[in-house]
Amino acid sequence: MRMYMTNKSDDAKEIKVDYTRLRVPFGPVHPALKEPISFKVTVRKEEILDVDIRLGHVHRGIEALAENRNLVQTIYLVERICGICCHSHTTCFTQALEEIGGIKPSERALYLRTLIFELERMHSHLLLLGLIAYDVGFDTLFMFTWHVRESILDLFEEITGNRIHHAMNTIGGVRWDLTPHMIEKVNDSLKKIEKSVKYIHDVFQDKTVEKRLCKVGVLSYNEARELCIVGPSARGSGVSMDVRRDYPYAAYGELKNSFSVVLRDGADAYARTEVRIFELFESINLIRTILDELPNGSISMEESVLKLMRKIPEGETVSMVEAPRGELLYFVKTNGKEGLWRLKVRTPTLANILSLKLMLIGGEIADIPVTVASIDPCISCANRIAVVDKDKEETRVIDLEDLRRRGRKQ
Amino acid sequence: MNTIMILLLAFPVVFFLSLLFEGIDRKVHARMQKRIGPPIIQPFYDFIKLFNKERIVPVTASSGIFTAIPIIAAATSILGAAIPLASLIYKTDVGGDLILVLYLLAMSSVMVMVGGSSSGNPYGAIGFSRKMTMLIAYEVPMLISIVSVSLNCNSLAYYDVVSAQIMAKLLLAFTRPSMAVAAATFLLCIPAAADAVPLDISEAKTEIIHGSLVEYGGPYLALIKLAKAASNFALTLLAATLFFYLPALFDGYVSLGLGAVFLSLVIALIFWLLTITVPRTIFARLKIGQAFKFYWLIPLPLSILSMALSTLGL
Repeated sequence: MRMYMTNKSDDAKEIKVDYTRLRVPFGPVHPALKEPISFKVTVRKEEILDVDIRLGHVHRGIEALAENRNLVQTIYLVERICGICCHSHTTCFTQALEEIGGIKPSERALYLRTLIFELERMHSHLLLLGLIAYDVGFDTLFMFTWHVRESILDLFEEITGNRIHHAMNTIGGVRWDLTPHMIEKVNDSLKKIEKSVKYIHDVFQDKTVEKRLCKVGVLSYNEARELCIVGPSARGSGVSMDVRRDYPYAAYGELKNSFSVVLRDGADAYARTEVRIFELFESINLIRTILDELPNGSISMEESVLKLMRKIPEGETVSMVEAPRGELLYFVKTNGKEGLWRLKVRTPTLANILSLKLMLIGGEIADIPVTVASIDPCISCANRIAVVDKDKEETRVIDLEDLRRRGRKQ
Repeated sequence: MNTIMILLLAFPVVFFLSLLFEGIDRKVHARMQKRIGPPIIQPFYDFIKLFNKERIVPVTASSGIFTAIPIIAAATSILGAAIPLASLIYKTDVGGDLILVLYLLAMSSVMVMVGGSSSGNPYGAIGFSRKMTMLIAYEVPMLISIVSVSLNCNSLAYYDVVSAQIMAKLLLAFTRPSMAVAAATFLLCIPAAADAVPLDISEAKTEIIHGSLVEYGGPYLALIKLAKAASNFALTLLAATLFFYLPALFDGYVSLGLGAVFLSLVIALIFWLLTITVPRTIFARLKIGQAFKFYWLIPLPLSILSMALSTLGL
């Protein structure tokens, strides 16, 4: 209940105390946040007056690491950027390499990439729906949603051998093929999953859930456009954008008739949740089409990956995919000697995180977890180094050059 | 002297029963969520484990209040449960114990709330203000419903209400419309008093990290958990015996002896499951404004209605 404001020029250090305000640290460790991010929230009773967002608790220096590895090693490295959308990262990266190297993967490989992509979207959305349910205190729905997600993870294990980091992509194709037996299994599971998703959709219409989500974290169409929000968060505010439709990649060009972009103009947490629920149905349809129309042929190049890697010349490109959380952008600059000059990753969370301030101010404390969850933040993707000098009260961002200079000094 | 002995004997019984009920509650909750759930004696394990842990008092806390409060909370709520249980077993009536029990139970809530605010944690402060609002929301209708019961039975003694039901061979909630309304009010207030989802606003885990309990750990937390379990047990026992004393419908041993106590406990457990476990499973947490509005729009008018009806003699 105290907030001290000190005036440094005054020798007597007059302390003004505003007892009506309370500064609540929200994170970096908090039950509602699964990853470290910190909000310094100023509240008066339940109302939020100001929010200060801080990132950088789990910066891992992946971009710098990538510059010290060869291209194939980097595929596995970028997969580790995020556990949930690992396939999006590898697809985006291999796509860039294939474009620089002029390699064209087979139709079947592209379809399989798309299949895993959509399964990943489903498991990511289910995970988020569960978390939203948990944040509003609806543990039963949380348990149920994650129970459904489990069956998708089982499918991943069946197809790729791994539940989370699938390691499906490689330069020029994919690493695992789909047998007719697996197709049957995926189809069977999809039937059950569709039924469960319908049930989840019904439960999200529950009065108490609606009360917690409607008119919470409102971000209008114009604000969403100005802040360049991406993915389901933007589509919840009525911004029609989807990389799958706008700049088709993998097999989305051929499949453009079997999915539609889900749009809602509620602009609140409920609209963003609803977009994700309906995208689950779109993904189910898309996977069914892929399984029906799966072309024949090989799944990867005849040459070994290492040979392909050596052939990739010096060049640069920008690659984009629609990750479950929104537009994921890679800038890749190869050095022609199996390595990279520069890798720049712009994850969807980095684009979305600024909108949180607008969404939170004016809301209630009870809305913080739901609002934060509704943009589906993936903090580990979004971390950048920022050094805060407590004495001088200044913040500056340290870049690689700075780090190198420091390294040389020692 | 005799009464004190009885109460002392009732303490371990309340301790055992309230933790057992909580274990059953957790098991049923888990089964409704398609989980296996913890063993029924898990609350006992938790209690023992927490009791063997280190005592931590934060530097910002005013340590005297902070450490005294778990003990007071546990003592008051166990006493609140022990008085009705003891008078049920020994069939004694103590004048005015109905009001005493309700204030003991409110006391344990207030104690936990004050403990949170004495911890010096901002989450504790938010928990304090939320609990304060909730207390105003549910304590008033709850008290009024009990007052209308005592108006109806012309007695403030707990066992008088029970024996009136035995005499009439009828459950109190079905005797008059005013009592049916009072029973409904009391049952509606139990989830808020128990701090269970959808009304666990004052200690919402994902919002304010258990609010008042945020700085408590080890033996202090064990005592507070025990206090909560005992107060839930007391509330459901009160609901089961004041309004629905089922043994009154039977003759002989079942209506009077230990069989009656056992039957009441079973009814109390059923009420626990209906008023605490089921809402916890099927609802999302409400916001403080929504909960306050609910309590002042439905239970409060209901309680006033029951009061008005019982003064009219209906």
